[in-house]
Amino acid sequence: MTAILKFIPFWNVLLAALMGLGDWCRFAWASITWTFRPPYRYHNFFYQMQFIGVQSLPIILLTGLFTGMVFALQTGKTFALFKMQNLVGSTVGLALAREIAPVFTALMVTARAGSAMAAEIGTMRVTEQVDALYTMAVDPLQYLVSPRVIGCIFMVPLLTMIFNYVGCVGAYLVGTTLLDIPSGPFLRHLYWYVDPEDIFGGMLKAAVFGFFLAMISCYKGFKTEGGAEGVGRSTTGAVVASSVTILVADYFLTTWILEFFTTHHH
Amino acid sequence: MIEIVDLYKSFNGTAVLQGMNLVIPTGKITVIIGPSGCGKTVLLRHIIGLWKPDRGKVMLDKVNLSALNRFQLNEIRRRFGMLFQHAALFDSMNVYENVAFPLREHTKKSEREIQNIVVEKLSLVGLSGNEKKMPSDLSGGMRKRVGLARAIALQPEIILYDEPTTGLDPIMTEAIDNLILEMQRKLSITSVVISHDIPSAFRIADQISMVYKGKIIETGTPDVFRNSKKEEVQEFIRKGEGKG
Ligand SMILES: Nc1ncnc2c1ncn2[C@@H]1O[C@H](COP(=O)(O)OP(=O)(O)O)[C@@H](O)[C@H]1O
Ligand SMILES: [Mg+2]
Repeated sequence: MTAILKFIPFWNVLLAALMGLGDWCRFAWASITWTFRPPYRYHNFFYQMQFIGVQSLPIILLTGLFTGMVFALQTGKTFALFKMQNLVGSTVGLALAREIAPVFTALMVTARAGSAMAAEIGTMRVTEQVDALYTMAVDPLQYLVSPRVIGCIFMVPLLTMIFNYVGCVGAYLVGTTLLDIPSGPFLRHLYWYVDPEDIFGGMLKAAVFGFFLAMISCYKGFKTEGGAEGVGRSTTGAVVASSVTILVADYFLTTWILEFFTTHHH
Repeated sequence: MIEIVDLYKSFNGTAVLQGMNLVIPTGKITVIIGPSGCGKTVLLRHIIGLWKPDRGKVMLDKVNLSALNRFQLNEIRRRFGMLFQHAALFDSMNVYENVAFPLREHTKKSEREIQNIVVEKLSLVGLSGNEKKMPSDLSGGMRKRVGLARAIALQPEIILYDEPTTGLDPIMTEAIDNLILEMQRKLSITSVVISHDIPSAFRIADQISMVYKGKIIETGTPDVFRNSKKEEVQEFIRKGEGKG
């Protein structure tokens, strides 16, 4: 008997999680249907692209550069044991394109833009601005959520590409200076091993991550209750839930993308 | 005509609306009074379909609001304007943008026409010259008047006012009362006004209803209402008139 009772809290947690997931799916579906209905507010959409993309640029440049540099340093040290430093370029390039750039970019955009979305919509929620939109016959899913989600679907892949590029620049700088790899072989291996499929696969992932992080952050904002404290809770919740989702989704997407491209290669 | 039929709503087990019945006639001013916390705002939110009742229904011209999907509900809300108790201005927009918002969303008016309307509405609520201010730079009473200007900008058929004059000085209160009256007389707008202010309720109402313990306990013209046999009504009138 006590053994059963011990599990009841666990079931409650599981049930709450499932109900939360169901609620999120309904929210996401409603937002998607509103997205394809007129009016299309291009102004909101471009504003979000600007907010998500342009304003995230500095942090993407910085993290991209240093990630490429440290990655080259680590792989370079190991490869030096086998006298294979020339492969640093291709290793870093592949890892960046397939995994590191999409995941890091999505996590950075979550930290910067996702948290802002949850805080902004959460504040509008608790100050009845969201309700005011409803009463003015402007659906807040269409007005607030759609532009943010579309903005992320477009901008996260774009930022991923930039992350890729500066990451490779960072690896090149470290490789040619600290690791004494000649510039020619470094670049040749990079071009040879990194295929367009790798880049596109990474960007596809990034688009999916963008969808999830925006939809989750907006959802958290929308469900905010209880004043300033509630807004704080939603913001933290948005970052945690988005980050976990990105990492879990990455695993499944990777399995799927690898399978897709390997079956089409041979 | 808006009909509220046997409306029930509870929050976490606390019953707020407990079988509310009310008919709001078209083109008239209905004032809803009652002690604070009795469920007046909750009622107003049901009238515009922001919340769905646990039981009962709100009928707008024979259409049951709870039976509509989100697209239909959005469509029907074009007929409404609403002033929130705490104004609910968009804090990312200045006063001008707030009042212009419904015009931009629902009309094809040129910027020139929009500007004329915004200036006119702001002068109606006594806020000319405050176009460029942000909501955070305004007092509570000023914010409320901007909210009022925004609610009437499109001249909707039905306007819901949640305590339009609470927190305003007597002169401004009278000006807002006159504005509500004038809109109803000139444009036959159906108005639902929540109020704490008994003298002002008697001045503007075609019909007064009192909410008490989750029900409408009295409804009638100001004269009928004044002569109500209900003890709660008489007490509320006595206290309200003493204060006002
Ligand atoms: N969103 C909500 N969640 C829980 N309780 C609420 C909510 N809104 C209102 N209530 C409760 O409903 C009751 C009536 O509130 P309200 O309609 O705002 O009163 P008033 O008549 O002063 O406008 C109050 O007891 C309030 O605590
Ligand atoms: Mg209230």
